[in-house]
Amino acid sequence: MGSAPQRSPDPSDTGPSMADAPKNRPPNAPRDESSPNGSGSFEELRHLILAPEQEALERLHERIENPESRTDDVSGVVAEAIQRRREQGGSDALSEALAPTIETALRESVRKDPATLADALFPVMGPAIRRSILETLRSFLESFNQILDQSLSWQGMKWRLEAARTGRSFTEVALLHSLVFRVEQVFLIHKKTGLPIAHAVAPAVAMQDPSLVSGMLSAIQDFVRDSFHTGQSQGVNRMNVGDLDVWVEIGPYAILAAVIRGVAPRSVQDRMAETLEKLHAEYAAQMQSFNGDAAPFANANKELSRCLEAKFKEDSQPRGYGYAMVAGLLLLTVIGGWLGWRWWQYHRWNQLVETLDSQPGLTITSLAREHGRFVIRGLRDPLAPDPQKYVQDAQLDPSRAEFHWGAYYALDDPLIQQRAIAALAPPPGVTLSVKDGILRIDGQPSAKWLSDLGSRAILVPGVRAVDLGRFSPGQIAFDEAKTKIQATVVRFPLASSALSSAERANLRSLAPLIKEVLNSSATTQGTVTIEIVGHSDSTGAESANQNLSQRRADRVAWELIQLGAAETSLRAKGVATAEPLRPENNDENRQFNRSATFRVVVPPSNQP
Amino acid sequence: MIQKKICMLGSFAVGKTSLVRRFVESIFSETYHTTVGVKIDKKIVRIDGAEINLVLWDLYGDDDFQKIRWSYFQGSSGYLLVADGTRRATIDKAIELEERARKEIGAVPFVFVVNKCDLVDDWEFDPEMDARLAAKNWTVLRSSAKTGQGVDEAFSQLTRKIVG
Repeated sequence: MGSAPQRSPDPSDTGPSMADAPKNRPPNAPRDESSPNGSGSFEELRHLILAPEQEALERLHERIENPESRTDDVSGVVAEAIQRRREQGGSDALSEALAPTIETALRESVRKDPATLADALFPVMGPAIRRSILETLRSFLESFNQILDQSLSWQGMKWRLEAARTGRSFTEVALLHSLVFRVEQVFLIHKKTGLPIAHAVAPAVAMQDPSLVSGMLSAIQDFVRDSFHTGQSQGVNRMNVGDLDVWVEIGPYAILAAVIRGVAPRSVQDRMAETLEKLHAEYAAQMQSFNGDAAPFANANKELSRCLEAKFKEDSQPRGYGYAMVAGLLLLTVIGGWLGWRWWQYHRWNQLVETLDSQPGLTITSLAREHGRFVIRGLRDPLAPDPQKYVQDAQLDPSRAEFHWGAYYALDDPLIQQRAIAALAPPPGVTLSVKDGILRIDGQPSAKWLSDLGSRAILVPGVRAVDLGRFSPGQIAFDEAKTKIQATVVRFPLASSALSSAERANLRSLAPLIKEVLNSSATTQGTVTIEIVGHSDSTGAESANQNLSQRRADRVAWELIQLGAAETSLRAKGVATAEPLRPENNDENRQFNRSATFRVVVPPSNQP
Repeated sequence: MIQKKICMLGSFAVGKTSLVRRFVESIFSETYHTTVGVKIDKKIVRIDGAEINLVLWDLYGDDDFQKIRWSYFQGSSGYLLVADGTRRATIDKAIELEERARKEIGAVPFVFVVNKCDLVDDWEFDPEMDARLAAKNWTVLRSSAKTGQGVDEAFSQLTRKIVG
C-alpha cells in the first residue's frame, strides 16, 4: 500500500463508495487552483492521503460481496488445497467428507446415463473379473491338490478311516488334523440384552443359532458375575472344552466372543480387543440405544470377519510324496498281481482248450469268461472222450467249466474206426482199422459177413472206401469151397471101387464147389487142379491095394467129369496105405480108410 | 430382523417351561435350569407382516432352593408373568415378582398368564383376588400348556405390546 496505484480510467472500477470522488478526474491529475470552496480542498487533501487505501478496501469489499469473484478465487486454489491437505496426512477426513458427495454424484450419473460410467469402468472391469476368476480357480486347484495328496498318503487313509468311524466328512477330519488353530465363529453380543448384534462364521463350520448361543454366553457371564460378585466390567474371558476355546473380550456396551478350535496365539486376542474398540468407537451410540434391530450394524460383520483367522500345519511334502509313492507302488503291485493271476488262469484254461481241441471228436470254437466261469463252446462227436476228465487232469476247478456242445461226426480215423466197429459188428477174430477214411479188414472173416460189407461200410460216416485186401468175395468163396472139398471123404465098400448111391449124391452136391474152385477168379493167375487121392485099408497085398486105391480115385474122377468138371483139371492118384486117414486100430477106422479124398492144388505163384 | 429378549417369570412349577416348550423348538437341555438357572430358546413371531425374533429367557422358578437370578432379567424388552391357577400362592408371588421386575428394569410390557386352565375347576380364584387383579389393570390371559390353549396368543400379545 506504499505507493499510489497507477490506475487507468476503467469504468468497472467505479462504485457507489466513490461518490465523493470527482468522477471525471483521475486521482493524480493536476489540481484546479481556481476552486473557490474550502471544504473542497479538505476533500482533496483527504483524497490525496487516503485514496489508494480506500480504493484497495473498496476492491476487497467488492470481491467478498460478489459470489462470482469468490468462486473465481476458490477455483484457482481448490486443487492445490486438496493436495496440500493430503500431504498433511488428513486424507481420511477428506475422504469421509467427500464420500457422500461422490456417492451421490455416481448414483446421479448412473441414473442419468449408465453408459457413461460403464464406458469409464470398461477398461478395469475385464481385468478385475479375470483376476477374480483366476483367484477362484487357483484356490480350487490348491485345495484339490491338497485333497489328492491327502487321499494318497498313509495319513490320508488314516483320516479316511477316522471319517468312516466317526461319521464325519473326510474334509472335516482332514481340516481338523491339519489345523493349528482356527477362529470358527465371532459373536458381537449386546451386553445388556444378550442379543447378537453381529456374527461372523468361517466356511464349513457347523453352527447353532447365533441368538441362542449369544444369549447363553451372556447368561454364563451373568451367572459367573453373580456367583462370584465381580464387577460389571469383568467376566469370563476364557472357556475351554476339549480342543474348543471360547475367548471373550468385554467392552462397555458389547462383548466380543470368539469360538476357536486348536491353540491360538496371543495375537488373536489382541486382534479381538482391537476390533471391539474399533466397533465401540464407530457404533457407541447405536449400541447404547440398541433395541434389537441389527440393521445399523450391517458393516460390523466385515470387521468381525477379520477376526476369523486360521493357521494350518506346514505340510512336509517329501514325506507325503514318499507315502504316496509307497501306496502307489503297493497299489500297482496288487493290481499287477491280480492281473497276472488272471492272465495265468486264462492261460491255463487256454491250454485246456488246446488239449481238448486236439482230441478226436472235439472241436472248440470259443472260450469266454462269463460271471467267473469259463464257458467253452464247440462240437462234440458222440464217441469223443469226456471233456470233464481233461479239466480234472489239468487240475482246474470243474465247477468253473461250462460246456456247450453241438453234435457232429468227427472224421478222425480212430473215431471212424470205433463207429465202423459199432455199425458193422465184426465177428470174433476179425479186426477193423481205418486209415485216411479207408476201412481195412484183417483176420478170418466169413464170406457171408463179407458179402454185403462193401455197401454197409460205406454208410458208416467217415468211411470213404473199404479195402478188403485178400478178402475178395471170390477168394473167400474159393477158400470156403476148397475147405469143404478137402474135408470131403468118399467112402467105398471093402475091396471095391463102386460108389453107393449116397456117395454119388454126395458128389453131386460137391460138384458146384468143384466147379467154383476150378473156375474161380482167384485162380486166374494160374491153373488150379484137384487131386483125387484114393486110399485103401492095410489089409491085403500092397500091390492090390495100390490098384484098388487107383481105381477108387479114377472112379470119383469119372463121376466128377460126368457132373461137368473139366477132365484136364483132375488128377486121380492112388496112394494105397501111404496116407491113411486114420490109424487102423479098429474096424471103424479101417473102414474109414477105404476112401477117396480131395486136394486142391494151387500153383505157388497164386498162394496168398 | 428385529430381535427381542423376553423373560419368563413365575413361581416354581407354574408351567413356564411347558409354555415355552409348546411355543418353540429348543436346542438346549432343560438341565440348564438347575445348573445355570436359565434356559434360552428362540421363536420367530410374525406381527403385521414383520418378523420378530423372540429370544426367550426361561428363568428358573423362584423356590426355596434357588432364587431367580435377576441379572438375567436385565435388558429384557418384556416378560411373561406366569402363575398357576390352581395355586393361589403363585398368583400372590406373581404380584410380588411384578413389583420386583419394575424395580429391576423399570416398567416394561408384560402379560400375566394364568396357566393350567385345563384344570379350571380346581382354580383358587375368589372375588377378592379378581378385584385385586382388576385394580392393577394388567393384561390377563388364561392358558394351558397341556392343551396349548392361549399359548400363541400370550406370546403374540406380549410381542405386540413390545413392538407396538
